[in-house]
Amino acid sequence: MTNTKRAASAILSTLLGIAVVGTVGITLHTLSADPSGKLIATKEADTITVDGKNYPKASVTMGVYPDSATAVKNGSKPTKEDYVQYGPSNHVVLPAHTYVTMTLHVYDSGEKLNNPYFGKVVGTIGGTINIDGVDVSSVAPDAVQHTFTLHGLPTSSQDPLFVNVPLPHVEVNDKDEFIPTKDPGTNNEGHTVVFSFITGGKGEYVFNCEYPCGDGTYAKFGAAMSAYGYMSGKVTVA
Amino acid sequence: MSDHNDVHLEPTPGERFSKFLKRGDIRETLAWATFYTAVFVVLGAYFYPKWMPTVMSTDMKAIERLMVVFTFISAPVCGFVMSIFTQTLRHRHKGDTPPPDGPAIRNNRLATSVFAGVSSLLCLTAIVYGLIELNSSAEAATKDAPNALVVEVTGNQWVWSFNYPSLGVESNVLNLPIDRPVIFQITSADVNHSFWPVQLGVKADANHLATTLAQTTPIKLGTIDVKCAELCGLYHAYMETSGEVMTVSDFNNWVTAQGGHSA
Repeated sequence: MTNTKRAASAILSTLLGIAVVGTVGITLHTLSADPSGKLIATKEADTITVDGKNYPKASVTMGVYPDSATAVKNGSKPTKEDYVQYGPSNHVVLPAHTYVTMTLHVYDSGEKLNNPYFGKVVGTIGGTINIDGVDVSSVAPDAVQHTFTLHGLPTSSQDPLFVNVPLPHVEVNDKDEFIPTKDPGTNNEGHTVVFSFITGGKGEYVFNCEYPCGDGTYAKFGAAMSAYGYMSGKVTVA
Repeated sequence: MSDHNDVHLEPTPGERFSKFLKRGDIRETLAWATFYTAVFVVLGAYFYPKWMPTVMSTDMKAIERLMVVFTFISAPVCGFVMSIFTQTLRHRHKGDTPPPDGPAIRNNRLATSVFAGVSSLLCLTAIVYGLIELNSSAEAATKDAPNALVVEVTGNQWVWSFNYPSLGVESNVLNLPIDRPVIFQITSADVNHSFWPVQLGVKADANHLATTLAQTTPIKLGTIDVKCAELCGLYHAYMETSGEVMTVSDFNNWVTAQGGHSA
């Protein structure tokens, strides 16, 4: 084999390798993209003072839907009809250094948390959440339907942000004790959970549910818990 | 009929070895081997500790020492391999007709004996030294147990949680007082994880329905990176948190702020 042929073979092999790796990378990137569009928090005109510091305000509303019928009515696009899911999007965008108020309408039933720690409220203003008008600092581990657990990598390039909110389950008896939230599209009944927290600087975070709400595989963390776009998602602080 | 002047005397092993060492290619190879060994020794002694995470516990200190010693032990092996590699490149054949192969080294009893003997000695040294370090860690764990702070570590997809039963504190960050032994009781609430507080030199399985024990003593103030070292699902890459080795007073203040009480 001549030197020219050797050089041509080496260059061709290198280019082929780059093409294969590039194709795999682009394919994986495409597959991991947000299944639904971004949910951008609404900035409010007024400000609020917390611990002597003034913050702009923003709000965002999401839901936890046990079935595709409720989810679709609220703007979600589930491909797995029996998967529980957050909606209308699993990519939330929040403004930086802002007092964010999040409202979650939650419609699912539940059993028991694997780890009772996630029954406690962590990282919200005052260490509490408001459930149907009542402030609480925890929910019993056997009365939880899901959790909203927000966390991120502790890197030097972004501020730490950890929020854990247990979401109360919806049981038949609840209707005697509460005035449950009604989903306007489906009349599904549930609870409304409201809480606030303060964002730091820009960063990329994730949220997921700490209640084992997948199927029987992987300690009930299969199915909806192991698929993008259902019980987990991204939070971009921008 | 023979004449004693005609007797051909076989060279002794010493003479053969001396002649072997006088060969130009052998001297070059040994020179390269010495050079590469020196490079690896310098890397192990000076640069390697700088590249490792900050040493913040007795165990991390032992691990750093172990890695440096192991680097020293493996330096001659790496040096010799790199030397052969360099000589192969320098004296590679150019052209289409390769020369015939040289004699197989497996037929050289001296070379194979030296190779096997030196390799065994290096492996034995590494095993014995490793066992000594392991034993010293186990002895320290037994001695320190009565005064140790117990931290229950639970891995969940994809968040760590820490319970300090003697202090009445639960947290998502791992804060520890300096110079006090700590015993980690590690488990998982779902799938298998691996608890890895990097700067503390601890890495232990977090398995569902089982408790793994690990022990160390923080000896330096600073930040701890806590990672999961077991691929555990969708957001495994985000299963990290931080912590801090604090002064005793700062730690007590943190415990109080979390609603706990001093031990």
